[in-house]
Amino acid sequence: MEYLSTDKILIIDLNAAEVEEEDLDETLVKEKIGGIGMTTYLYDKYKEEDPIVIGTGLLTGTTYPASASGQITAKSPVTGKVCHCPVIYKLGVEIKYAGFDYIVVKGRSESPVYLWIHDGVADISDAADLWGKDVWEATDELRKFVGDDLLQTMLIGPAGENGSDYAQVCYNHWNSPDRFGFGKLFGSRNLKGFAFRGMGLIEVAEPEDYVERSLEILKEVKENKFLGKKGLAPILTALGEEGVDEWIDPVTHRHSADYFTPYASNTALFLDEDPGLLEESKKEEPGVLVSDLYALLGFKNSGFSAKDAGSALKACAKYGIDPFAVAKLSGKTTLEEITASFDSISGEITIPGRGIFSPWCPAGPVFNDFGLAGEDGTIAWWERRQAVSMIFGIQPMFSLMCPELTEENMLELASLGTDIELTRETLDAVVDTILG
Amino acid sequence: MGIKINALKCTNCMACEMVCSYHRDDGFAFLSACIVAYRARERKDYFGVLLKEDDVLIVARPEGLEINKIGEEADPDKEADASAKPMLLREGCDLCEDMDDYGPMCVAFCPADAIELD
Repeated sequence: MEYLSTDKILIIDLNAAEVEEEDLDETLVKEKIGGIGMTTYLYDKYKEEDPIVIGTGLLTGTTYPASASGQITAKSPVTGKVCHCPVIYKLGVEIKYAGFDYIVVKGRSESPVYLWIHDGVADISDAADLWGKDVWEATDELRKFVGDDLLQTMLIGPAGENGSDYAQVCYNHWNSPDRFGFGKLFGSRNLKGFAFRGMGLIEVAEPEDYVERSLEILKEVKENKFLGKKGLAPILTALGEEGVDEWIDPVTHRHSADYFTPYASNTALFLDEDPGLLEESKKEEPGVLVSDLYALLGFKNSGFSAKDAGSALKACAKYGIDPFAVAKLSGKTTLEEITASFDSISGEITIPGRGIFSPWCPAGPVFNDFGLAGEDGTIAWWERRQAVSMIFGIQPMFSLMCPELTEENMLELASLGTDIELTRETLDAVVDTILG
Repeated sequence: MGIKINALKCTNCMACEMVCSYHRDDGFAFLSACIVAYRARERKDYFGVLLKEDDVLIVARPEGLEINKIGEEADPDKEADASAKPMLLREGCDLCEDMDDYGPMCVAFCPADAIELD
């Protein structure tokens, strides 16, 4: 596969401590397109070995707006379903530029390991010194060891090592959209996680046309009035929640965006520092970056101040546990009680529709109505939108905001980028396979 | 004429970095960009933009612009950023002089309108 691709699939066998590479066959791209089209195919191919499959979308890491996302596809140890967790921030892009479109992890290591993927090379590395460390400690240690603060990590914390049903795979220091207990899955394989870094080059079949169309689409996207807003609070307000701004403003520092994503949906809260500070804080841990709407809302609705909610979210990120589950199921109302409850939480989280996409994303449109009518239709629309976003690698929250990112222009750019004619019929078939 | 950066508008999305490198490489990469989103202080939520011109390195910090002449000794009170290291080896900004349809790519593609032509 020559274009929009590293042309490589990585197969890691933890039982045998062996790493193999396969070429990405263009025929597969013609049939499965990419992203969760491919990770679902790879999951099925290695199904007997219950694999964890990491992937990137066909457009991930390009100039198509919001082409930020990667994916983790695996069987949830909690629900028993094959689920797809978005990879957000800058991590999805780093996976592709580290040299692999897809990574299949089979088996279980005899002792703790992490996978160090960099510039087209993959190593299974001893994680004895990382096991037992929280997500922040482990991320910092890996960055220090490699000597690169831009190293991107996908790690578990104590929750995953201890086998919690609510253990998350975290991204860098932060919580992730994992509502499937993938952290528990990593822990059960003695897999602390991944470190990614790469400076690859992705070729494009028709670069000038691809970039020109990307800019035209971006200009259409920027016509949206909601792009004058930033952060999680306006999203919650648009979803009908009241009083979020007043609650969160006193601790809000800045908002940041995932790769090439026009809406800054990550909100940093300063907990131990002046939120109005413009200079670099001299404190090592001034706050926490929050991407999880419903975890934030859960703590708010439990009566937490925004500062205490931020502290709870930070504790969850360090422990590597789903903060939404903690807010919803712990029944605790103080920070001390929350942190003491991490290993004893029980209960069920409802996942809409078929239960294969993360309810980290709102189960419907945000800011724009997309012309939808009726709740039944909304869930079906949401599942298709999530599937399509994660086939092409589009940030799945932003795709719920922005009707200008159409299936037609995703297909058009994918065809321009690869020189493969990808049709709606192919996309429909891939979505049907994913949705079963 | 030059590039003007408003670091307070920047959302650290790296679009500038990608399109700048595209202008050099005719493919998608980050390796050749003369403008980068610096993001190594992630835990402190401290980010902005670095721009290399021919003989100066412009650091657009949230608290204001800093212009460093390349070759002069760095301010010992300010810790160097990991993103700055490879910048000094890269070509300086040419305002995308060969991109007739766009002008500077970072200006055209910035989703947050944080980069302008001055």
